[in-house]
Amino acid sequence: MDPIQSLHWILFLPLVSATCIALFLRRHGSIAAWLSTATAFSIAGLALNLLLTTDGKIGWHHDLAKLGEISLGFGYLLDANARLMLFVVTFVAAWIHLFSIGYMHDDEARGRFFGGLSIFMFSILGIVLADNLLMTFIFWELVGFSSYMLIAHYFDKDFAAAASKKAFITNRVGDLGFILGIAFCLHHYGTLNFEALASVSTFQGVPIIVGLLLMCGFLGKSAQFPLHVWLTDAMAGPTPVSALIHAATMVAAGVYFMARVSFLLAPEVLQWMAVSGAGMAALAGLCALAQTDIKKSLAYSTLAHLGIMGCALGLGHPELAVLHMAMHAFFKATLFLGAGSVIHGCHHEQDMLKMGGLLKKMPITAATFIAATLSNCAVPFFAGWYSKDAIIEAAWQQHHYAIFTFLALAALATCIYSGRMLRLVFLGHPQSKNAEQAHESPWTMTTPIIILGLGYSIAAGFAADAIIPASSRQVIEKPLQEMAFHLSAPSTWVGFFALTFGLLGSLKFYAIFPGRDSLQVFSPQTYKLLEYRYFDHAYGWYINHIQRRLAEFIAFLDLLVINGLAVRWIAGGFTAAVGQLTSRTFHRGQTRGYALWITLGSLLIIWFLLAR
Amino acid sequence: METFSQFNPTLLLVAIFTPLIVGLILLAGKTLPRSFSSGFAFLGFALPAAIAVWLFLPSSEAFGSPLKLRFTGPWGFSFGLNGISLPLFAMTAVVGLAAGIKALIQEVENRNAYLGLVLFMLGGTLGVFATDNIIGFYFFHEFALVPTFILTLYWGGEGRRSAAMQMAIYLTVGAMLSLAGILIAMSAAGLSLMDATFEQLFLGLHNPQVSLPTATAAITLFGFGTLASLFPFHSWAAPGYSAAPTPVSMIHAGALKKFGLYGIIIIAAASMNIGHGTVGKWFLICAVANVVIAGLICLAQRDLKQLISWSSVAHMGPIFLGIWVCTSRGVAAGLDAALFLMVAHGLSCAALFLLANAVRTRAGTYRFDELGGLAKHTPILAACFVAATMASVGLPGFGNFWGEIGVFLSLKGESLWLQALVASTVVISAVYSLRAVANVFFGPPSKEITERFSFAPFKDLSGAERLATFILLGASLAIGFAPHLITRHTNEDAQGLAKLSKLTQANSPHSTPSAR
Repeated sequence: MDPIQSLHWILFLPLVSATCIALFLRRHGSIAAWLSTATAFSIAGLALNLLLTTDGKIGWHHDLAKLGEISLGFGYLLDANARLMLFVVTFVAAWIHLFSIGYMHDDEARGRFFGGLSIFMFSILGIVLADNLLMTFIFWELVGFSSYMLIAHYFDKDFAAAASKKAFITNRVGDLGFILGIAFCLHHYGTLNFEALASVSTFQGVPIIVGLLLMCGFLGKSAQFPLHVWLTDAMAGPTPVSALIHAATMVAAGVYFMARVSFLLAPEVLQWMAVSGAGMAALAGLCALAQTDIKKSLAYSTLAHLGIMGCALGLGHPELAVLHMAMHAFFKATLFLGAGSVIHGCHHEQDMLKMGGLLKKMPITAATFIAATLSNCAVPFFAGWYSKDAIIEAAWQQHHYAIFTFLALAALATCIYSGRMLRLVFLGHPQSKNAEQAHESPWTMTTPIIILGLGYSIAAGFAADAIIPASSRQVIEKPLQEMAFHLSAPSTWVGFFALTFGLLGSLKFYAIFPGRDSLQVFSPQTYKLLEYRYFDHAYGWYINHIQRRLAEFIAFLDLLVINGLAVRWIAGGFTAAVGQLTSRTFHRGQTRGYALWITLGSLLIIWFLLAR
Repeated sequence: METFSQFNPTLLLVAIFTPLIVGLILLAGKTLPRSFSSGFAFLGFALPAAIAVWLFLPSSEAFGSPLKLRFTGPWGFSFGLNGISLPLFAMTAVVGLAAGIKALIQEVENRNAYLGLVLFMLGGTLGVFATDNIIGFYFFHEFALVPTFILTLYWGGEGRRSAAMQMAIYLTVGAMLSLAGILIAMSAAGLSLMDATFEQLFLGLHNPQVSLPTATAAITLFGFGTLASLFPFHSWAAPGYSAAPTPVSMIHAGALKKFGLYGIIIIAAASMNIGHGTVGKWFLICAVANVVIAGLICLAQRDLKQLISWSSVAHMGPIFLGIWVCTSRGVAAGLDAALFLMVAHGLSCAALFLLANAVRTRAGTYRFDELGGLAKHTPILAACFVAATMASVGLPGFGNFWGEIGVFLSLKGESLWLQALVASTVVISAVYSLRAVANVFFGPPSKEITERFSFAPFKDLSGAERLATFILLGASLAIGFAPHLITRHTNEDAQGLAKLSKLTQANSPHSTPSAR
């Protein structure tokens, strides 16, 4: 098939699937599930074919319409980054679809769920393929919507309703900056097309502001400081959604987008991204220690890895960021799916303190979870090691020692919370009835985690050549060569220290008090500090005390001043001045008199507006 | 083109006069049997929609694009459609059909009179966009407004008397002010009201020998602005829409209100140079106030219908801004986007009114503190409401997106602060709209809903309600996925107006022609 044609199929098949489900299959959950999954596997196959058979840049463009002088462009730009991202997204998504069939088996609203997944696929693939800023923004918004819809899956729960709203609105705050950035590019460079922007911006230079504005979109979508508050709440959605959207793909789309427009980021913007990304990584890593909900703990882990990716972008290594995004997608999807399998097996228990001893009861889940955890901790030759150590190494080589320290701290924290998770969930003895009665999940759920976990978390880095085909290898090889691994590299020492003290230490530490969190027992203050709801509280305070009051005050003023006074009172003032006769018509409330006075009042306002 | 030119005007006349004639018969025939009057009224609602969509869609490319018709009809009125009015005409007909379906399934007293008046409203509104002389423009507007008042007064909801009164006064005053402005302009240009067309007015006022008194542009602009709820002349709108029966709110907020905007574009912007000088400055300030202040007021609403009414006021802001940036800076994209948004807003806002009433008929209330968790009992209503909300907050895929993003992008040359202030609407509108969705549909069902449901279980969206919703949202999706459906009509006129504005600016950098 002609590559462009396959791109059309890749993009629009999910939309067709979503439309069919929305119109005809609402009540036929199992058909909807298989339709959506079949679609996901077909596009994964097409994407793999593209990855293997095409090379170089492939482009296609079509103008939908013109608004005045602005072309509303729609087109594809498939380069090395896009090819890798396309493969990762479709491949991970296909397995998560399969997993969902098992996980959502008893859900009444399966049709809606799988329709949502298909809409999400359509949206994220649009971001991957887009060849211009406007099209990126369109699909960016659609991704926000599908995320909203899927977080709100259990809409009759208050927390899910609140979380979906929060996610959408926080994303929109970021999008506000994004829109301004698009307008700026259009004004400054006269185009929104990536390739044209790349060439024009090298001529004209890049002002700081454009990078800052576009970065706002990234902050919202990738849940970076200070717009990170929505991601942990988004765990209210079904677990496959957390795996696909809020770990592997959507949040990574921000990183991918920043890599795509990296030529528009001024050095100051990069600096900020590097520092705040590294800080976010360390902070979120530590916060993961104070979560008892397995999914929330993983969500903080995702925040930490997104911080690391942001940091890589900031250090001027977009290809490393994309590589880490790919690796992270594999192991984090596995971790979430493993968590889903655990939750499913434990009869919807999400509290890690009530689990334990699942190694024996759920051996497949446990094995894959452990493999993905080792990848997450960057154990040498596991997928995460290649990209994460390369980023830490890059910080050292560029003499950004503060960033290096933050990243090292993040690496340590990662190992600690991973050890904690393994210890609380899989080792020891069951801490509740649900955990005692746990059972291994059905094949639809275990197959995906075996493939993604054992296959990709281990092999993606180990056998990068075999798994990431030639056309995208340049994305990976360049950083690997540049980083020049050797044993004396500081990153290796960081890794060694983190693994021994962090991972092994925490396995021991969290064994001390079964059924309780050791850190909370030893130092309740630290634990409380790490629970970290400050930003939620601050935003909540702002909404309740500033925004709401301001809105009510303005509504009151509008009623009083504009509706009550300006028009009528000016009329009334005239009445007093003009005298008794006319005043009578006014007070008798006759419509004609009333109208006359409103006319005069309006004229007076216009006159007032015009008189300088 | 020749062969069709005879046919087309007839179609246009049929589209306008079918609802009027059917309405007249229904008004006269109080005792007509129900099934007959329903079928007959449906004809009155459906025929204009069929004709308008046929004229609008690419199949009518045979007439040349953009479509321009002009001919003199009965009583000296002349009719015609241009690139600006055709999309509005089509939108009106579509909204009218959906509103008609809603009206047909309502149980009201004096049903035939009710349907007849709604048909009058529709016919008048269609006439507004299909006429091209000034007297016809005002005649049809009043023809639509009078039934609006009567319908609100007799069939309206809570607070209908004062709302209808206030609305009547504001709208009459607004129309009279704009007419006064036009009369001044016409006398300056030596035209007579009875037979002047938009084109003649345009040519007359662009005659370099004609000079307008300073206030003319302002009076016309703010007069029309009042009709389109331009801040600070918006006080009538929210209570007016809220108190009116649902089909009336749909046609009024969706379509009839665009009379004011159309007037601003085709008269004030085209011939009175409202973009420059003091008038332009205040136009900008008022438009931004529409976005920000009305947006904030939306945040304070505690009643679903009030919220939708207020959001309809807030959404006028970007439209005004698009017109402003076209006339003031000569950015054609501004007018293209404003027109796009006018059409898309008409559809989404009508859908929201329709669905809000569906909530009301089931839950018995519009109040947020009594609503909650309705999605459990009425999933399709919830899904449709979420879709309409997403359309209204400008989600891509729906027409509103192109309008909003187009206005933002057309402001690209302005200061970053202004842009940020205007674009803040993407956040504000998301906040109040999603809050409404969550309050009404999500969470566990409220105590009131549970009681009501156990007392008298209510059903999900009925077939007719679904049809009306699908018509509106389907139309919005169509222009969202294929934006050229709108822009192919509007591009040429927007370019023309933008060019004109640039010329005016170049000719008189310091003073406006209206002040010469």
